[in-house]
Amino acid sequence: MRFLILLVAVSGCWGADGYRERSASVVRQYAGPADLQTASYGTIAAKLALGQDLEWCSRRLEEILAAGPTGDMFWMFPVTAIAYRDQGQLTPSARAALKKAWKTYMPYRGDTENHWLLYYTCLYLMSQLWPDAEWYTGKTSAENMAEAKTWIDGWVKLTTTRGQGEYDCTHYIGVYLLPMSYLTAWAKDADLQKKATMMLDYLIADYAVENLGGIYVGAHARTDDKMVVEKWEGVAGDFGWMLFGLGPRPAAIGHYTLYYGLAANYEPPAILQKIATDRSQPYTHYEKKRTRNRWRFADELHGPVYKTTYVRKEYAVGSDQGGVLQPIQQHSWDVTWAVPDPRGVQNTMFALNPHSSLRELQTYFVFGPDFGVEAVVRSKKTYDSPDKLLGGSPYERIYQDKDALIALYDVPEGARFPHVNGFFSKDLREVVEDASGWIFAKGGEALLALRPLRAYEWRDIAGGGRRLFSPHRKNGVILQVAAAAEFASYGEFQRAIRALPLEFGFEPGPWVKFRNLRGAEMRFTYGVEPVDRSKWPLFGGPFLEADVDSEQLVMKYGGMRRVLDFKKLTVSEALR
Amino acid sequence: MRSLWIAMWLAASMPAADWTLYATMTTSKGYVVGAKLLPSGVFARDGDGDGRWRQVGFGHPFAVTAGYAERDPATLYLAAGNGLIRLTEGGSKWKFLTGSDVTEIRDVSVGPDGAIWYGHSAGVRVSRDLGVTWTEVKKKYAEAVRADRTRASVVLVGGEDGIWRTEDAGRTWRLAGASGFGVMQMEQSPHDPCYWLAVTQHGGLFASRDCGKSFENAPRMGVERVLYTVSFDKTDARRVVLAGWGFGVAVSEDGGRTFAFRNAGLPSTDVWSAAFDPGRPGRLWASVHEEAVYRSDDAGRSWVRDGLEGSIVYRFSFVPSKGGAR
Repeated sequence: MRFLILLVAVSGCWGADGYRERSASVVRQYAGPADLQTASYGTIAAKLALGQDLEWCSRRLEEILAAGPTGDMFWMFPVTAIAYRDQGQLTPSARAALKKAWKTYMPYRGDTENHWLLYYTCLYLMSQLWPDAEWYTGKTSAENMAEAKTWIDGWVKLTTTRGQGEYDCTHYIGVYLLPMSYLTAWAKDADLQKKATMMLDYLIADYAVENLGGIYVGAHARTDDKMVVEKWEGVAGDFGWMLFGLGPRPAAIGHYTLYYGLAANYEPPAILQKIATDRSQPYTHYEKKRTRNRWRFADELHGPVYKTTYVRKEYAVGSDQGGVLQPIQQHSWDVTWAVPDPRGVQNTMFALNPHSSLRELQTYFVFGPDFGVEAVVRSKKTYDSPDKLLGGSPYERIYQDKDALIALYDVPEGARFPHVNGFFSKDLREVVEDASGWIFAKGGEALLALRPLRAYEWRDIAGGGRRLFSPHRKNGVILQVAAAAEFASYGEFQRAIRALPLEFGFEPGPWVKFRNLRGAEMRFTYGVEPVDRSKWPLFGGPFLEADVDSEQLVMKYGGMRRVLDFKKLTVSEALR
Repeated sequence: MRSLWIAMWLAASMPAADWTLYATMTTSKGYVVGAKLLPSGVFARDGDGDGRWRQVGFGHPFAVTAGYAERDPATLYLAAGNGLIRLTEGGSKWKFLTGSDVTEIRDVSVGPDGAIWYGHSAGVRVSRDLGVTWTEVKKKYAEAVRADRTRASVVLVGGEDGIWRTEDAGRTWRLAGASGFGVMQMEQSPHDPCYWLAVTQHGGLFASRDCGKSFENAPRMGVERVLYTVSFDKTDARRVVLAGWGFGVAVSEDGGRTFAFRNAGLPSTDVWSAAFDPGRPGRLWASVHEEAVYRSDDAGRSWVRDGLEGSIVYRFSFVPSKGGAR
């Protein structure tokens, strides 16, 4: 029994049931809400899938639509699922009401990659379903489908050649998996259907290789104020549980998993299960992504994003190269440690320069300058707050080697928030502010050492934890992490860290020379590329390989190989 | 003072307006992403009475501005966040004229030859077949586009780095002024086709008296502010209005040489747009940020609240009433 518990804790696998049962349990949960009076599209779709309460489904659908659709592309995907799960079960009146809504309500296309993928997937599928219908677009069904397919094909090609712009999002992973699940299940065009299925492999692989017990680790284009510190609590955790049985079953599981299951209900192949769960050997994984569309202040629409993620069973350290690569919700680096039960745990440490500027917003958005920041803050509450823990900074540069990381800051005079924030979780243990300047701490089975390069003070965080506040514009931190099993004691770890050669300075800009725990000498000067990034792969590491512009992905595990070739639209498998 | 009395007499004695006023707007006060869209899109104002705003067609969160061709004012072209949209049949019929290859349409202008020009987040496009096909003629963010109403091949574009002008329908472009400043809007005088004004982000007002070939900084109005709107008065060649954030409304009575603020009676000086009514001399419209539309019948010396509560009107557009989306 003790062995079994240990096995579960190490692998992070909680689900005794298989994928099908986990997915089915989500459908059952949505089909049986506590209050039917307020039940919405998700319950209708779930009940239609189970063939339950069909009279109620039709009546409720008409009620909701009569109140007026809202939510734009986020309205489109629930009702698309209902339309395809209808299968003759809805009344003609309810079906007519749904059809009418697609003529009289104009869902907005939005301005992000996930918005557009949802929008065009749903427009394609609904136009396919109703070839002679009238649409809010004023176009025919065929015209809608042609426009949508053009964009979806372009998105697949861009993703498999240059990477996603909204890459590795802890929340939006759901709205990438969902459209691909829809197209896999319902697209009649054989090529598009196959491409979507391959993209499910692709997107799930992208997540699988950078997860730790279901938690999406590494740098993210977008996360949110909660998930940036409480890493499991969100959509990625939902999918980690449903796809791979990682982590506990979320009590309030998000509806993306429902709709994913109501469509293709695609179970990842065995090789992805292995990649997602085998953390027996430490590995470094590399990825190249791209920035969001830059409308202003840049010559190229997309800039490169270089990711490095070091993963082992006790923790993961991940980063990008720094800079503003995605507005508002970027998360550039952290260490995330594994925990037996992630619920409510803040299992991460990181630092950032809290950056807020009109230039950042005008680079990526078209709205007017004066109202821009306020408009953002209305929905992204912390964007313009000096104590925030979310967002990239144009004044941050990052260099990572395995589980050592250097972040340097050179914030110009006049910047809105000219300081560095460091996040110190409520769940850290045995925090030591050492006379050497290093701060030591324990997080799970990870031993953490953080070296602020300038003076700092502590500020409490509402809800727990502390914020390291360092008011110096030329600044930096060094992070070195190790597994507790590598040292005889916590004191031994501290002695090893103290002994590491370290030099640093701030003129003319911040610089560091540091020999890390793994023996590599890290020389890093702000504004100077620490490594040659010209050959950075789209995916590189022991589990995934893809070259830039290749339109291919090679998945590897032991002797297993699975190759996605988007040029030929083929999937090949081999066992060596 | 005398001109004020003349303007008021003219306003009282003029026949009913021959123009329909369209406001491309969003109601943003109290709105957050994900909530039900408040009244937003295209609104038309009928007649002279109070509260006569009516929504035209679909609700839309990012309707930016509208344009029309002189030869066919019954067809409106709506520059919107999700594309260029054609409105016909009294505004009840909408059709997207663009697809997935373009987004965030910022401005639209129809030339004397019927060519439709629009600026978007990544360039400028033109159609010579009523929106069936499009050609990209400039690759750079374009906030403002104006086709010269007297010369078919001359078009001015305002982007993130100044004003650009083409004389050959977009084959070549030359920087015409406001270098380094983000341009917010440009207008060609209805009284003198060689007189142009442009407003900028933090650079103030720029003027051209050589048909848009070169722009010079005009009186230091709005420097360090963002001016969103410049508009000529069709009924009076001397009148020009500016509007901006923290600036309010300023009116020139001497053709743009000098300006006087006309903010008394407005609840704030955060003003998105303003325009003179071509059908009522002296009537001026202004959109005060998340307050309402305000109306003045004395060129901004006094104001009354006129509806569209809590809104931002990006542009007021006047369309001949014999056509338009009526």
